[in-house]
Amino acid sequence: MIRLFVLVIAALLLVAIPARAERLISALSNDKIEITSSFDGERLTFYGSIAPDAGSEQKYVVGPYHIAVVILGPTQDRVAREKTNVLGMWLNTDQVTFKGFPSYFHVLSSGRLREITDVTTLTTNFILPESHVLVPNAAGWWQTMVFGRELIRLMTEERLFGVQENGVNFLSDTFYSAQLTLPSNAPPGPYIAQTYLIKNGAIIARKSEGFAVRKIGFERFLAQSATQYPLFYGLACVALALATGWLGGVLFRR
Amino acid sequence: MQIYLPIAELSVSLFFLVGIGGAVGFLSGLFGVGGGFLLTPLLIFSGVPTSVAVASVTGQVVAASTSGALSYYRRGGVDLHLAMYLVIAGILGAFGGVAAFDLLRNAGQLDFVISAGFLVLLGSVGILMLQESVRALLKQRQGVVVRERLPNQHNWIHGLPMRVRFKKSRLYISVLPVLAIGLFIGFVGALLGVGGGFIMVPALVYLLRVPGNVVIGTSLAQVVAMMAATTILHAVQSQSVDILLAFCLMVGGVAGAQFGAAAGKHLRGEQLRGLLALLVLAIAIRFGLGLVLIPEDVFSMSVVGGAR
Repeated sequence: MIRLFVLVIAALLLVAIPARAERLISALSNDKIEITSSFDGERLTFYGSIAPDAGSEQKYVVGPYHIAVVILGPTQDRVAREKTNVLGMWLNTDQVTFKGFPSYFHVLSSGRLREITDVTTLTTNFILPESHVLVPNAAGWWQTMVFGRELIRLMTEERLFGVQENGVNFLSDTFYSAQLTLPSNAPPGPYIAQTYLIKNGAIIARKSEGFAVRKIGFERFLAQSATQYPLFYGLACVALALATGWLGGVLFRR
Repeated sequence: MQIYLPIAELSVSLFFLVGIGGAVGFLSGLFGVGGGFLLTPLLIFSGVPTSVAVASVTGQVVAASTSGALSYYRRGGVDLHLAMYLVIAGILGAFGGVAAFDLLRNAGQLDFVISAGFLVLLGSVGILMLQESVRALLKQRQGVVVRERLPNQHNWIHGLPMRVRFKKSRLYISVLPVLAIGLFIGFVGALLGVGGGFIMVPALVYLLRVPGNVVIGTSLAQVVAMMAATTILHAVQSQSVDILLAFCLMVGGVAGAQFGAAAGKHLRGEQLRGLLALLVLAIAIRFGLGLVLIPEDVFSMSVVGGAR
């Protein structure tokens, strides 16, 4: 009975307070990143604005808002290995495999992540790099934590993982833009950019866009032939090598 | 100018690739070796994944050895009969090498085995060569006439059964040591991405007593055929041959080799072998230190299978 009463009060309150919902309008500068022979990384811009939700009577929105953009690359099975000294030599002796680990992960935000929201929100929404190693793993909790931390460090050194806590700029109270430089070793495949709108520590709206990084033209042709027609690809390599060697000999004989 | 390598999936400076190809080609022309044992380590040290480096260098070795093999063939310096036995055994060995390469890569021990393999092979070959050339240089200084070992001097290998006559090499020997050498070089070559000329030449000279005029030509012909087979095997099995990487190295290597060969005419044989021995030893020591010294980073990572 009491529970019903509380529910009724809550419903009345919801009606009484005008809906103050925000909507996130976002876009990105390119939805295809093409890897050509001169590919040396690419710059992407994420931008958008915060507007009153459709259907609400609100004319404007009141901040302060925070934005976090999470860019996630195609997943791979990745293994982290540790060398130890065996009889004076350094050997890989221990390893942990992380299944479905992102090959690329970057977070751009408009402020320090732990200040704009709490750790639980960050980990459950996979906004922190560490959240990707917190998933259950057959190797056990301790091993996963130790190797996961090292894996994130290695990925960060390769510029494949990163957190830029000043990566999002507000150009006005409601308009933001963020820039990301995709490195040349960014793996090809489908990418997802998830944008979170955060107000008073809570995620109040989210939106996701996809973009693709792919090899085009000659590079695409080569990579496809290598995997789809490996025998012909190998034969072509040998033919090219023989021709180059022969031609070199002929050209320089004089 | 950066060039994107589609299989290695990273971009490298084009001038760097052609440059190291040329530098190694120069040395290989100078010393008459394939240069794979120099290129593979250089690529690994410059960030190309080990598997791609090994597989692509096999392609480069084919190109580097082709012009040499052809010119020796024209001069009649190739014993095709002997080369055929070596190649057949070599291809069998290469199957084993490529399979071992795949197994080791999945087990995470590929880098270690490659380092240890280079250390043992280059270390022992380098020491042997250095000894030999120092002895030759000293004797020459003392005025002693160096008597070349005669091809008809026999050792225990010549007592083995299943003898075959190799006309061009003027040899009548058992095929068993020939096949064993081919098998070993095929295996090592596929595993380490080297042509194996630096093992083949001493093995032919000291074990089989193949006369000097056909040793290098036969070794080169064998390297071309076997490395061609290895390239195809790598392309099918590990799919890590980067044709663009291999081509850049080839162009540099083929050009460099011609200048190296021209420069080699100004140096004496013993000096050349002494220098090559020092170079081989230096690389062996580099690999040895990598195994023994505390690594900069005890942790490493790699991708299992392909990206999905």
